[in-house]
Amino acid sequence: MPNYRPVLFLCALAVAACKQQSSPNGAGAPQAGGASTQAAAPSGNEILIGATLPLTGSESRTGGFYKEGYELAFEEANQKCGIDVGGKKMQVRLTLLDDTSAQATAASLADRLINSDKVQFLLGTYATNLVEAQSVVAEQNAIPYVNGGGAATAIYKRGYKWVFGLLAPVELLAESIMKWVDTEQQAGKLPKPATIALLWENTSHGKDFRKGVTEWADKTKNYKVVVDESFELAGKDFSALLGQVKAAKADLFLADAHLPDYITMQRQYVTAGLCNKVQSYGARGAEKQAAESLGKKNVEYILSAVWWSALLAEKNPEAKKFVDLFKAKYGGRSPEWYQALGYETARALFTAITQAGSTDREQVKQKLAALKIPSLLPGGELTFPAEFGQQTHAPFVVQQNLPDGTAPIVAPPDSATGKGTAPNPNCAK
Amino acid sequence: MKLRWPTWVRPRAAIGLLVVCAALAMGPLLHDNIYWHNQLTLTFLGIAAALAWNWLGGYLGQVSFGHAAMFGVGGFAAAQAQIHLHVPMVPAWIAGGVLAGLFALIWGHPTLRLRGPYFSIATIGVGEATRLVCTYWDAFTGGSSGLSLPMQQNLKHQLYWYGIALAAVALAGSYALRRSPLGLSLLAIKSDVDAAGDVGVSSTRLQDLVLFLSGGMIGICGGFYASYFSYIEPGNMFGFDRSISWVLTGVIGGIGTIAGPAFGAVVFVLLQQSLIASYPQLYLGLYGMLLVLVILFEPLGLTGLALRVLHRARPDLSVTGVAGED
Amino acid sequence: MERFVELLIAAILLAGLYATMAYGLGLIYGVLRIVNLNHGGIIMAGAYAGWWMHSQLGIDPYLSLVPVAAAGFVLGMVIYLLLVKRLPRGAAGGVQSLLLLFGVWLVLRNVAYLMFSGNDQTLRTSYATRALDVHGVLISVNRLAVFGVALLILAFLHLLLTRTYLGKAIRAVAQNPDSCTLVGIPVERIYALTFGLGTALAAAAGLLGAALVPFSPSFGASELLKSFVVVVLGGLGSVAGTALAALILALVEVFAILVLPAYLTAAVGFVLLVLVLVLRPGGLFGQRVLG
Repeated sequence: MPNYRPVLFLCALAVAACKQQSSPNGAGAPQAGGASTQAAAPSGNEILIGATLPLTGSESRTGGFYKEGYELAFEEANQKCGIDVGGKKMQVRLTLLDDTSAQATAASLADRLINSDKVQFLLGTYATNLVEAQSVVAEQNAIPYVNGGGAATAIYKRGYKWVFGLLAPVELLAESIMKWVDTEQQAGKLPKPATIALLWENTSHGKDFRKGVTEWADKTKNYKVVVDESFELAGKDFSALLGQVKAAKADLFLADAHLPDYITMQRQYVTAGLCNKVQSYGARGAEKQAAESLGKKNVEYILSAVWWSALLAEKNPEAKKFVDLFKAKYGGRSPEWYQALGYETARALFTAITQAGSTDREQVKQKLAALKIPSLLPGGELTFPAEFGQQTHAPFVVQQNLPDGTAPIVAPPDSATGKGTAPNPNCAK
Repeated sequence: MKLRWPTWVRPRAAIGLLVVCAALAMGPLLHDNIYWHNQLTLTFLGIAAALAWNWLGGYLGQVSFGHAAMFGVGGFAAAQAQIHLHVPMVPAWIAGGVLAGLFALIWGHPTLRLRGPYFSIATIGVGEATRLVCTYWDAFTGGSSGLSLPMQQNLKHQLYWYGIALAAVALAGSYALRRSPLGLSLLAIKSDVDAAGDVGVSSTRLQDLVLFLSGGMIGICGGFYASYFSYIEPGNMFGFDRSISWVLTGVIGGIGTIAGPAFGAVVFVLLQQSLIASYPQLYLGLYGMLLVLVILFEPLGLTGLALRVLHRARPDLSVTGVAGED
Repeated sequence: MERFVELLIAAILLAGLYATMAYGLGLIYGVLRIVNLNHGGIIMAGAYAGWWMHSQLGIDPYLSLVPVAAAGFVLGMVIYLLLVKRLPRGAAGGVQSLLLLFGVWLVLRNVAYLMFSGNDQTLRTSYATRALDVHGVLISVNRLAVFGVALLILAFLHLLLTRTYLGKAIRAVAQNPDSCTLVGIPVERIYALTFGLGTALAAAAGLLGAALVPFSPSFGASELLKSFVVVVLGGLGSVAGTALAALILALVEVFAILVLPAYLTAAVGFVLLVLVLVLRPGGLFGQRVLG
């Protein structure tokens, strides 16, 4: 499968359409991505931006989605003849390599992009451990690294100055769910105190999710965690673990799992006749693939919290712009949060370059640090607060699967498109 | 004072190694391609690790599919030493190596009684069990979040020369383990452990020694890796794929030979570099095929192939002892 | 008490699957003295085959069991005739056959990767979440069906090995290949057929696994290890022995949750493997393990 280069082709077309001098490297584009024999020095009209994504390997599905987001952003920028840099229009060119979801490869490729392909800026990859490894390379080489794929706070607690993250921490994800549960509790729909069965995959993501839940429980004193167990990825049989949950008779079932474990666990959950007043699998739940694999009935009333949802387009103009743009390019298909984050990450970098008025790395870095722009993210704004190590703390949208197949946003109130239900009416029988 | 070489050291080999090391060490003065500089550093690491694996897998004939366990133990120990105890880098590596070697002894001593495929199967179990336990053991590995080492600006660049030293030590060790009288004992154990015992080879002690050295060296490599990437996490360090890579480099390069696995490691890196842009997911399958071909047609892998060619070209040249053929 | 019953049932159902997976491995080892490290690859291939037949042809996985097993049989014979046959038999060939078949596994993984991508696939059937209510305890229909099929396969195998000429020939070759040649049993042909049969069993086990959980090209690795534990514990040649060993493994794994954190129960199988190999090396494999 030839590595991606369609942006280049479109760029060449756009350049021709704008009647500008196309760069000598323009359409002669590398078919094999990033082969270092190709002259990598950027021409005067072009900004070379590098990135890796897991296009193959365990995270390939998500990597492909991020790629769509990046491509969309680059295409949009180049269709306007490029981005404005100090009065001059410059095309943006993406050199995208496949890091195969492997940490060492991600770091080595970042090295290659910087030192061999001589890119001027870096966009991030997807998956926390890959971002954490890659960001080291960026910091060592003093090159701005803007990523929408690494959520762990650990990445941003190292005091790095060149790393910027658009993905809010997973602790906040857990908190968002807990906040909604709180409002239901205040409204008397859920018992006070409420007991929680907490199951989390033993990954960075799962650990942070657990931290968010337990810290909230400690802080508000209205919850008691009665089951707190981690599990290994790709489990074949969760019946023993779910038996523990059943015995605990908890009010809330909060889990954090990858898609395959979610499917296996939920199948066994339903089969075992389990039903908790509130159920959540973290960021999972509203995904189409889940509903297809499990059946609509079996994902009813599941809460999920994600970094972005296409439903935000109803109230957020930036989100609407993005959704329209995406649907136009991808034949009416609706984007998920991956594409949105990818798009916004690239856009953030472009904006910072324009604001800096130059492609000097130091200046762009400063502009990124001070960035404050309207955004498609929940909350409507994008910043990289220094107090959080330059990681956005945009709120999450909490969605709930309803029996009619929709999954409206139930929190935060300013983005809400529907009302959530608690406790789960199916449990009443 | 006259320097006395042990009789089994061929002066040509020693000088050859020194010359190559010197050449590599001066290389960076001639070019300023940082990317290749770093890739070479990783290659040296791969060479050292492959050679260390070969001590157990090739010299003793006990193929281990779980060496990543020691890599991880060594790496995390070295990282912890540097982060919390402020131990300088190289002593931290050595401490990690010692710990890894001891760990190898703990599980390896009883397991080495098993022969052939049973030992290999047991090592898979050890590797995976270690991964799971260490991922759970938050205090040691940071759990699934991993450990981040404080970043030092020029360290990565300097690791190149440390890498040369590491690979040279591993190569010298390989040479010594094979060509010394100790090597003969190991050969005896590999062929028939009971008969070896009959002629007075203390096989248990020697096996333990090789186990310790092999595990320890891999542990040092783990520390090196941690210093290079400045971030390690257990899923990656203890991964089964990592263990597999040493089996592949060892067997394809030439299992049981002195330098074969080093060639395997170099080929590994070269293939990865050339495929990485166009067909990144193919190389495991490619290695699988190479493995099949090596097992079926050329048990000594690339080294065997090279020897055949050499023999064809210069039948008069004596090349015994290089490959350590039985 | 209820919890105890639930755990027991879960263990029994799991044991059926483990037994089916292990038997293929044990058969090949018992007769050819070869450790089939490609076992995991075949399990994965069986899973994909079943899934493909379900998603492309709409055939229910339990119905496609026979065709998938047959395909596995053919694949096994091909692997044997093309590759394994060239290796020396016996202890000398031990590690080599291990590595050879491991190489085949890597290739299979890559092929699956290229054909179906690395994404997880799910075999979704309408009854995947249905449960049977037995005296207040809910049992998953799917898992019960898998258990039932596992019993059927084991019964079939038992009959094959004890009542048919082929079965008796296989057992004879396992005991003493040289004598077999003397009495006119085509040993090479038996080897090929056994390898095929073992592969067929692995493919069937993979299909059953796919009916229960999502899978990807890396499916099969932990199944392989569990199969080792069962085979080493229970030995070969006896259906009852394998079944019992599978039950022991499943019981230990499931009940471990009462004493260990859930995450570490995943390590139980591996630790058991190492312990069994080190402490019971004689086992039912005979002295071969110690060389």
